[in-house]
Amino acid sequence: MLMEWLIAQSAFVLPLLVGGLAVAWLLPSRLPKPPIVGYALGIIAVALLYSGFIPAETSDLRNLLFTVFSLTAVLAATLTVTSGNPVYSALWFAVATLGVCGLFMLNSAPFLAAATVIVYAGAIIVTFAFVIMLAQQGGSAGYDRRAEHPILVTLFSMVMLGSLLFGLQETRRLATAGGSEAGSMRPAVLVTSAAGLGFDRAPNPFSVSQENDLGSLRGVGRSLFTDYLYASELAGTVLLIATIGAIAVAPRRSRGTL
Amino acid sequence: MTSLPCWMMMPILAAAETLPGMSAGAFSGDTIRFLVIGAILFALGMVGFLTRRNLILMMISAELMLHGVAINLTAFSQFYQNHDGQAFTIFVLTVAGCEAGLGLAIVLGLYQRKKSLDIREWTTLGEGPTPTISVEDLHQAEVLPVTQPRLTPAGLVPKLPADGGSVGSYAGAVSSGAPKS
Repeated sequence: MLMEWLIAQSAFVLPLLVGGLAVAWLLPSRLPKPPIVGYALGIIAVALLYSGFIPAETSDLRNLLFTVFSLTAVLAATLTVTSGNPVYSALWFAVATLGVCGLFMLNSAPFLAAATVIVYAGAIIVTFAFVIMLAQQGGSAGYDRRAEHPILVTLFSMVMLGSLLFGLQETRRLATAGGSEAGSMRPAVLVTSAAGLGFDRAPNPFSVSQENDLGSLRGVGRSLFTDYLYASELAGTVLLIATIGAIAVAPRRSRGTL
Repeated sequence: MTSLPCWMMMPILAAAETLPGMSAGAFSGDTIRFLVIGAILFALGMVGFLTRRNLILMMISAELMLHGVAINLTAFSQFYQNHDGQAFTIFVLTVAGCEAGLGLAIVLGLYQRKKSLDIREWTTLGEGPTPTISVEDLHQAEVLPVTQPRLTPAGLVPKLPADGGSVGSYAGAVSSGAPKS
């Protein structure tokens, strides 16, 4: 019964199996494992996932951009996690950040894409690289070349990812069965209300209805400083406290090097 | 799908029917493929966080998980055509910045203690077990020569008598200077 069900769900079970094998193979360990096998398995897994699970949409250019950016993000994330040298991991994480920013652009969030590039690639990666260079001047250490419980952890994570993908697949199946067209980018309720009124219904009843200007800096700023005013004040306070805390926690220079 | 156990379908159907404003809980395919990428990034970050032993790599993996969440939030924002998801992503960005700053400060402090970025060094937070010493060990132990500590010079140099006498003569000079009655 379980096997039949798994075979029926091969659209995401098969890529999960192959991808989990690839990640477990690529994770650093003492055994001599040629990485080319892991790369091949990973590419097969991604190809299976794209052919079976991620549907093709109508717009060709959007498809192409999505494929390029998501491939960049997923492959760079895999190399980040599995790279034996922490400097390479940090650099691959920068590449994954660029792919994620491309996906932000596709989701009509250009301001967020720019902010993420500035914050991550400009600040966080540089700080990580500084710490790695200060602390590991001899290159990759022994604990970098050996992962902890690679097979068990990969199994766990793939089970979690499988449950997530199963939920998404069921949602899509319900969407296609429920009558609303699967290719449309907006739900029927919002489309009719937007066509009838020319306004989007804001989730907060006290916020002002506005024209749809998704992704513009003006819209993001208005959402931040009207609906989420207290939250943004709190976020600023959190930043301030984190700055003070980092200065207080950081080791003094007089007690030693670094 | 026909042979799906009913106990697995129940929460999904229940969740789909309680979605506000929608009859059958319908995310379009365009949204779902972004959600798939977000889920994959989240799982990869989880693999990295749990397997790698380098403190810096664990933090990078946590940031990878935050990336997956941010992709999900912008996809929802695109789907509902409002800015809530993007505002949440800005908050996620804020928290990620705070986490990176504080985490790196803590990592530097840990590195200063053990001179290593290995997480295994910190599996026990306390000190190691202290060695037990019996009385026989104390009797059999060889007596090490006692070394006096070398104190750093501090304060003013005391004024010694001009003939370079010893401390005794200095004390005698002081006592001789005392008023006699």
